[in-house]
Amino acid sequence: MPLPEGTYGLLAEFDTPTHLVQAASAAYSSGYRRLDCYSPYPLEAAAAAIGFHRDEVSLVTLIGGLLGLAAMFGLETWISLWAYPLNIAGRPYFSWPAFVIPAYEWTILYAGLSAAFCMLALNGLPKLYHPVFNAPNFRNGATTDKFFLCLEATDPKFDVVETRSFLEAHAPVSIVEVEY
Amino acid sequence: MAHGNNAKSLPADLSAPAFVDIWRTRALIAGVAFLVVAVILGFLSGDHWNHFLRGWLHGFVTCFGFCFGGMLLLMTQYLSGGKWGYIIQRPLEAMTRTWPLVFLMFLPVGIFGASMGRLYIWAKYADWSTALKNHLITNEQAHAIRWKALMLNTKAFWIATIVCFTIFALYIHLLNKWSLQRDADAGREGNVTYWRVKFENLSGFGVLLYSGLLFLLVIYWVMSLDPTWYSTVYGFQFLVGQAYQVLPLAILTLMALSKAEPIKSTFRLIEQHDMGKLCFAFVMLNMYLAFGAFLIIWSGNSPEEIPWYLDRIRGGWGVVATLDVIFHWLLPFTLLLSSDLKRIQSRLAVVCYIMIFARIWDVFWLIEPNFRDAARNLHLSVGILEYIAVPGALIAFWMAAYFAELRKRPVIATNDPHLAEILEQEYVHA
Repeated sequence: MPLPEGTYGLLAEFDTPTHLVQAASAAYSSGYRRLDCYSPYPLEAAAAAIGFHRDEVSLVTLIGGLLGLAAMFGLETWISLWAYPLNIAGRPYFSWPAFVIPAYEWTILYAGLSAAFCMLALNGLPKLYHPVFNAPNFRNGATTDKFFLCLEATDPKFDVVETRSFLEAHAPVSIVEVEY
Repeated sequence: MAHGNNAKSLPADLSAPAFVDIWRTRALIAGVAFLVVAVILGFLSGDHWNHFLRGWLHGFVTCFGFCFGGMLLLMTQYLSGGKWGYIIQRPLEAMTRTWPLVFLMFLPVGIFGASMGRLYIWAKYADWSTALKNHLITNEQAHAIRWKALMLNTKAFWIATIVCFTIFALYIHLLNKWSLQRDADAGREGNVTYWRVKFENLSGFGVLLYSGLLFLLVIYWVMSLDPTWYSTVYGFQFLVGQAYQVLPLAILTLMALSKAEPIKSTFRLIEQHDMGKLCFAFVMLNMYLAFGAFLIIWSGNSPEEIPWYLDRIRGGWGVVATLDVIFHWLLPFTLLLSSDLKRIQSRLAVVCYIMIFARIWDVFWLIEPNFRDAARNLHLSVGILEYIAVPGALIAFWMAAYFAELRKRPVIATNDPHLAEILEQEYVHA
């Protein structure tokens, strides 16, 4: 696959979360859809401003949990009934009350692992390279005290000149054109 | 922090809306209707009002759970903090202030059940040797009554109950008095920390003390119906069961109040979602304790312990026990897994009703099989209908008292740093 070239997007830097959220919701309402906010801490308002959408993590977690439940309950049943039946003080081989706890623990384990790995996969992680790190102010500020809005070039509405003037209207600290 | 000027402001009148009075009237009417039915059933059943008394014990234990479970949750939220606790403070306080009614409900249990020995066989056959000779009790029962006489006697029963009620009443008095004083104290330098520490100090020891005394009380009131059996996790199950019944009631109260100001402005989706998650936690904790106790006794398979479960599984009781697991755990657990459901008021309300119903069902399963005519023998009789009529009446009367108390004070506390956050706009998630 050839490496993409050219402009990745325009990255606007803001000093306060309020400015970021205002600019982001303005961009969303004027039609930009390929855009992202970057903040040093979770910012619910920013997620809401750029159109937070549903994902499949909960479904994958449920399926993972059910698989774990079925796997362990099946394993216990198979061992106790067919593979290695043991007579424990005359109790029935199929002693389901005793099977519940390991089965429950595998449910939690599978559900937890499914949720974590599904979240990473849907986020596109692990990712070894991301273009926004080409901007020096992003490298220095994104995880400490700066708030960024990136309007990406793949958006049909994106135009280097127009988008830059759109962002300038929201008085950012700086606007950087980010290359791939 | 607010990103824009969309914070709401608190309305001037913070008292509960007038329609709460209509709820109270309806609850009173329902209570009277249930009581009339209960009395008719008492005459019809021809069992010397035995089932009426058992039903009364059921209703009393349930109402005790609402009132003092409210106190437990109130103290817990002072310790944990958080906005979910802040918005249910006043409804919980209203629940606690019903304690004199709950004490009145205890009196028939104490007088007829213990003093006249109509409920507790250790009270009826305190003279165990004569009873054993006349084959009125088994060897095991005689042994247990003799061995436990120091604790299981009528005098100790009354003293323990009255001492516990007195201590709880003192706590309820302080929690309610200080809550109003704190609101009046707004604006003074450092008052937020002062009151937070004051409530924490009261509640920290209070939760411990309440847990210990509750263990004692449920041993007297419920577990001693079968004096041969014992379980160390019994008190815990009631402790969690009380939170299990009170939290849904608090959520339902807020939902119903949110149709009008002031709760309309203060009840947000975020806190509703949080309380839904907390319900989920209680569903799990409750099942963990109940199943844990069962698994340990089932594995031990010891003749001293297992009959208690056999009384509650054999002879048709297995259906009640299975339904108990379905109502108590399977239904609320699977429903509350969904995060959408917790954000949709009408659906979360259904889960809350299921949880309260499950608790009532569970107490029935705990109480009725203790009696000889019902153990391992579930059968429909006129008498068993008293478990619907008498608790129905007592719960309805308790609700009426709760609604009356709810009207007496502002339904939201004002001197709390959480208030500003509650009034902020919330962001809707997918």
